[in-house]
Amino acid sequence: MDNTIKHDFEPKIIAFVCTWCTYAGADLAGTSRMQYPANVRVLKFPCTGRIDPVFILKAFQQGADGVLVSGCHPGDCHYIAGNFHARRRFAAFRKLLEFIGVDLNRLQFSWVSAAEGGKWVEVVTDLTEKVRTMGPMVEFKELALEEQWSGAIDTPELREAYDAI
Amino acid sequence: MSTQPIDTSIYTTITAAIRTEASRLFTAGEIVAIVGYAAARRKGAAQPIIITDAAAAETLVFTESCVNNLAVYLTKAKKEIPKNGKIGIIVKGCDLKALVGLMGESQLKREDLYLIGIPCAGVLASTAQPATELTTETIASKCCECDAHLPLGCDFVPSIAFPPGPQLESRYSAEIARLEALTPAERWAYWKEQFAKCIKCYACRQVCPFCFCEQCLCDRNKPQMVDTTPRPAGNTAWHIVRAMHLAGRCAGCAECERVCPMDIPLNLLNRKMAKELKELFDYEAGFEVNDTGPLTMFTEKDDQSFIK
Repeated sequence: MDNTIKHDFEPKIIAFVCTWCTYAGADLAGTSRMQYPANVRVLKFPCTGRIDPVFILKAFQQGADGVLVSGCHPGDCHYIAGNFHARRRFAAFRKLLEFIGVDLNRLQFSWVSAAEGGKWVEVVTDLTEKVRTMGPMVEFKELALEEQWSGAIDTPELREAYDAI
Repeated sequence: MSTQPIDTSIYTTITAAIRTEASRLFTAGEIVAIVGYAAARRKGAAQPIIITDAAAAETLVFTESCVNNLAVYLTKAKKEIPKNGKIGIIVKGCDLKALVGLMGESQLKREDLYLIGIPCAGVLASTAQPATELTTETIASKCCECDAHLPLGCDFVPSIAFPPGPQLESRYSAEIARLEALTPAERWAYWKEQFAKCIKCYACRQVCPFCFCEQCLCDRNKPQMVDTTPRPAGNTAWHIVRAMHLAGRCAGCAECERVCPMDIPLNLLNRKMAKELKELFDYEAGFEVNDTGPLTMFTEKDDQSFIK
């Protein structure tokens, strides 16, 4: 296996996962010595029902290029119905983000059970490669930059500083 | 489309009817106060008023300048209202939907209220020039797509025959369709420009009957989820969070849009979410009290085509 490929762009992927299923699934992938991109940063939550849409927003604002939300399959929730509520909430939230103009290819939802180490690897790899071809998520970063400099990036110095971020 | 006047002659009859009813209610001792509208200082203007006796019933009016959604006085200020009797409130169809939503969320009890419904032909978009005649041009956008001219389930509604009105253009639907046809980048550019105008005065939150949280998520700083300063990133986050928190609750009174000093089309986001929730979960704000909204309940067969 060739581990020496160098990419121009390594996307930052934030994964919000539920502790009972997807976190255990990711753990299984690890203990099974499966390889998956190290681009993903996993954040553990008690349940997908605890994952507020504002977390996704915050992740993008803080520099995430892609966000993954993953939890138990419907019917398997440790808290009985957390993922059912989350499913409705995220169905609505992605429509809102789409209307605001966020590319939904950067936001992935999945159900990964504790036994699906392989599916975790697949989901993470797919999202990472998809976001890699899309390039960095600049929209929210540009908003943050406008806060600091209150203007467009129109000088070489600013461009250089921007590219260094 | 040429500008046509809208017949508001029914408002004279309505004003007389609500005065008589208010006077009767106070005399009979059925209620302790009425939240309604009274004439304001400028010619043609109206302002919210709370009256507590029959003598003041003559100050009540209903005109095309009665734009406010009075439901807000029963959520935010309700703690100051003494609980020694029923409160009467004058509601248009859109205001009633908000009250119904609040009852569904256990903020108000139906038996504590005496609802005086207004058969409404529409109100002005802006009261900056209160003496303006109501026309197809000056009417509020929410009234153009109104399906609730006659409020249902009230304790008293003046009986009125609606005069035939002119055809109104569907402004929100047209604008939503226009934005949906754009590319994501173009939509982002549009909203970026709109949100950049925001000065974070929170008038939209203050006027919204559904923003009744004692502490708003956006005011918390441990952890700080939304930047509180009026700068682009925080503004965008605030408006996304606002739209999301109102999704499935917003009654469409469009007060947020009316009070916005920077003219951000806030109700566009609310209408878009209402449209999506109608498509996804077949939910619409209406006159029927439901103790669950579309985002506080679920079915096992909900669509999950977007989930891997």
